[in-house]
Amino acid sequence: MSKKLSLCVMFLLLLFATQSFAEQVVKIGALYPMSGRGGLYGKDSEIAIKIALDEVHKKGLPKGIKLDVIITDDQSKPDYAVSVAKRYITEEKVKFLFGVVSSAVALAVTEVSKNNKIIFVGTDHAATDLTAQKFQPYYFRVSNNTYQSMMAGAMYLKEMGGWKKIAYIGPDYAYGRDQWMELKYALDKLGVTYEVVGEYWPKLYEPDYTSYITAIINAKPDILVAGFWGGDTVAFIKQAKAYGLFSKMKYFHPDAGGNYEVMAALGKEMPEGLIMSARHHVNWPDTPENKAFVEKFYKQAGRYPSYAAEGAYAGIHLIAEAIRKVGNADDTEALVKAMEGMKLRLPEDPKGFTSYIDPKTHQIVQVQAIGVTEKNKKYPPAEVMLGKFKVYDANKLWPDFDYIEYLKKTKK
Amino acid sequence: MDISFLLSQLIGGLSTAMLLFLVSSGLSLIFGVGKVFNFAHGSFYLLGSYLAYQFINMFTNFWVGVVCATIGAGIFGMVMEFLFLRRIYGRQDEGGFQILLTYSFILIIDDMVKFIWGSEYKTIEKPEILIDQVQIGSIFIPKYSLFILIVGLLIAISFWFILNKTETGKIVKATAIDRDMLGLLGINVPLVMTTVFGVATAMGGLSGALAAPLRTVTPGAGIEVIIDSLIVIVLGGLGNFWGALLGSIIIGEVLAFGILWVPQWASLLNFLVMVLVLIFKPEGLFPQKKGGRV
Amino acid sequence: MKRLKEYSPWFAIVIAFLLILLLPVSEHKIHLATRILIFGLYAVAFNILFGMTGLLSLGSALFYGFGAYVTGMMTKSLGGDHFVYLLLFGALCSFVIAMPLGLLCLRLTDVYFTMLTFAFGQLAWGVCIKLYNFTGGDDGIQGIPRMALLESTKSYYVFVFLVVFLSLIILWKISKSPFGLVLNGIRQNRSRITFLGLNVYKHQLFAFLISSFFTGLSGGLYSGLDGSIHPNMFFWTQSGSIILMVILGGINNFFGPLIGTIIFILLEDYIGKTTEYWPFFLGTIMLIMVILFPKGILGTISTFIKGFSSKREIGNGCHS
Repeated sequence: MSKKLSLCVMFLLLLFATQSFAEQVVKIGALYPMSGRGGLYGKDSEIAIKIALDEVHKKGLPKGIKLDVIITDDQSKPDYAVSVAKRYITEEKVKFLFGVVSSAVALAVTEVSKNNKIIFVGTDHAATDLTAQKFQPYYFRVSNNTYQSMMAGAMYLKEMGGWKKIAYIGPDYAYGRDQWMELKYALDKLGVTYEVVGEYWPKLYEPDYTSYITAIINAKPDILVAGFWGGDTVAFIKQAKAYGLFSKMKYFHPDAGGNYEVMAALGKEMPEGLIMSARHHVNWPDTPENKAFVEKFYKQAGRYPSYAAEGAYAGIHLIAEAIRKVGNADDTEALVKAMEGMKLRLPEDPKGFTSYIDPKTHQIVQVQAIGVTEKNKKYPPAEVMLGKFKVYDANKLWPDFDYIEYLKKTKK
Repeated sequence: MDISFLLSQLIGGLSTAMLLFLVSSGLSLIFGVGKVFNFAHGSFYLLGSYLAYQFINMFTNFWVGVVCATIGAGIFGMVMEFLFLRRIYGRQDEGGFQILLTYSFILIIDDMVKFIWGSEYKTIEKPEILIDQVQIGSIFIPKYSLFILIVGLLIAISFWFILNKTETGKIVKATAIDRDMLGLLGINVPLVMTTVFGVATAMGGLSGALAAPLRTVTPGAGIEVIIDSLIVIVLGGLGNFWGALLGSIIIGEVLAFGILWVPQWASLLNFLVMVLVLIFKPEGLFPQKKGGRV
Repeated sequence: MKRLKEYSPWFAIVIAFLLILLLPVSEHKIHLATRILIFGLYAVAFNILFGMTGLLSLGSALFYGFGAYVTGMMTKSLGGDHFVYLLLFGALCSFVIAMPLGLLCLRLTDVYFTMLTFAFGQLAWGVCIKLYNFTGGDDGIQGIPRMALLESTKSYYVFVFLVVFLSLIILWKISKSPFGLVLNGIRQNRSRITFLGLNVYKHQLFAFLISSFFTGLSGGLYSGLDGSIHPNMFFWTQSGSIILMVILGGINNFFGPLIGTIIFILLEDYIGKTTEYWPFFLGTIMLIMVILFPKGILGTISTFIKGFSSKREIGNGCHS
């Protein structure tokens, strides 16, 4: 063969080789509710994932790796989700499990992650257990757990002062119960004295809160702590407003009350003066990163994001940064090590703080901002948003090893 | 526990009961009278709330929107009945097929709603005149709850009247007993079935539209409705509207006082009541006198 | 020839099982096949009560969940080695609680029976969630260990197949026995059976007990599958899905429920991975099936086949 021809052949082979390198697709298997009440969070996560993937691919990954995210509706059913996770691992050959809104599903899927040694990046469910007594090394979470919100809530209540009687209403399942348990634990830890005048446990998705509202008004608490999420928050606020509950006590909803879709759904019906927080705020912090994220989401979706979006966005970036640090997507143990302690500049980070993954618990450590509702028409269709934010130091919220020990003793 | 508090709980329970009655009235009609178990009853409730959202925004008038939503749900129901349910009447094991068919309606309608309107929560506001509260003594009742009370009573009275005092009503009740016989008597049974189904789904839609200002308009909102409605009509006796009303009141009050006395177990009380009634009085608290008793 | 026709479904089941075991299929498919086997047993057991005896229970999940929780919780505390007899123990416990429940529910007929089973099922679900210190509540229980012998997905699949196959044989024998004939008779004409001097209530109760035993067994088998159990195993929608699978496949045929289970689970898996709008497609397919297959899939197929067979069997008894 002539030299020219062999050079051509070599060049073509090299081209071919680099092409196949450039085509290495790393699959991420995501599980989200896409139908029913949780469907909104799945949809928002899907959109945020697209946004994050664009950013990641623009910056590029080592060896020309491309990330591909597959999303399946887990129907919020643990047994079905496990079947899908198995399909992801053994047929799609995903390198990461991702997402999940329902904590019950997450608990089942984390077992699959553990047994198959596949990294599972949780982006929305908040059960503290997963980063506490149910911890397994392949699990990471990029959104806050309920303990972080409740500890921040307890600090807020302590600073606020001037109250004695407290009551709680929350959906009658693990999420509702855990929040109350954690708030009380945090209040006790901070040395706050309080008197519980009532505990109310409507079923999840309860359509009619009337009897609860009248009972709460009669119990006359100074503070009503609420543990609802999504549509239940909207229904409760609408119904409670009609009974004038909000003028009779302070409404305190530190984990999911301030989620944007609640504001958007209530519009001008949302009362002012409610003290709430969320895992991500559309209007806080006022940083260029947050503004850019929210705008990108609005462009794609035609509306502003619920907090599920920021979680999904963070998850993709966590994976991308880990791959960049390790140089490939195959060495699972190295990726785990890379994720531990990883710093991620996220839309919800205020100036001067960067979120990071706590190496011992694999839980993201980030600030919590609690605000009060006030008129704000900048994000239609919401007309009332949170403002007057009080920001709590991330490191004071997590990790809390005393609490983890407490969980090990009290929960299975 | 002072009297005014107990009274406000009582009235609160009543308000819950009326909405519950409104929601279950459609199911009571179609199941108790038509002997068709419409599993998708909650989906017509859902459809009603979305149609109300759509029409209220279109016409910027609450009342027009609600009426349109009711009619819309009724028409949709009639179409579903005509195209699909009709084909399974008279089949062996019709009951099983009713379940399967109406369950497929649930899947289709719920996804349809998500496809057309998206997954975000929508909201409907109460009409201007019904926003505040009414004060009776030291008790405050939201005007909207009073409105629901009145609507519920009107519906109970109208249905009772139509079913028991008119010729049409007799025909409708007869379809529950023996469709073939009725056909032999020259009655257009298919037309009756379609109409009854349409009225029942219209009721479902109406209840969804009226409940929407108090709740969230969201995919998945129809699922709880079917359980609560089932409990109510079992308590009241199938096909009996006064029974359904009483059943709703019992459930409403059991919850209202249950959360005071056994707060940890309040959410299970309605199932407990259902179990007790079925064990001791399975025909319900208002057994139908003659005919239709299984 | 008749013998061959009679045994052909059993051959088909064994062959399908072997194909999945021996062909190079993914672990997911084996997991799926195991799910089909477990729900298939649940569905066939359910049909003893529904298709044969004519009793529509909307609370079958009570026994499914109960079996799963008894077997699962005890295996978690006592260790995986004890799984096999804890499995039987779980089924036995379902059998035991089926007695008072059956006695209460069977006093009622038709829709009232259905409603009471529904109410009990929901109560069981509620209690499971409430006793969260004992049952883990809504978090469910994870980490249920497996026997060392059954560690791999394939070996558990073989184990489940053996248990299910054996159970199906037992249920088949029951359905073909004089007892089974009486059950069919009760469904068709209660008063006639009473006139024959037989106790309807006692027969229904036995059917209820047998159905509940095998339902509990299927629950126990599921607890070992993922090592995870959850209170929604008691929820009425779980009872509802089984009803769907049974009707889809055909309630008049012993194997109908199994076919229905296969179709439902495969459809759910396939449509779920294809589109986010799976409810619409699944609902539409079910709608079409209901309209086109009045006797369920297997019922329609067997009628079709009977139409082709030249030899008309006269006086062949009640059902295939």
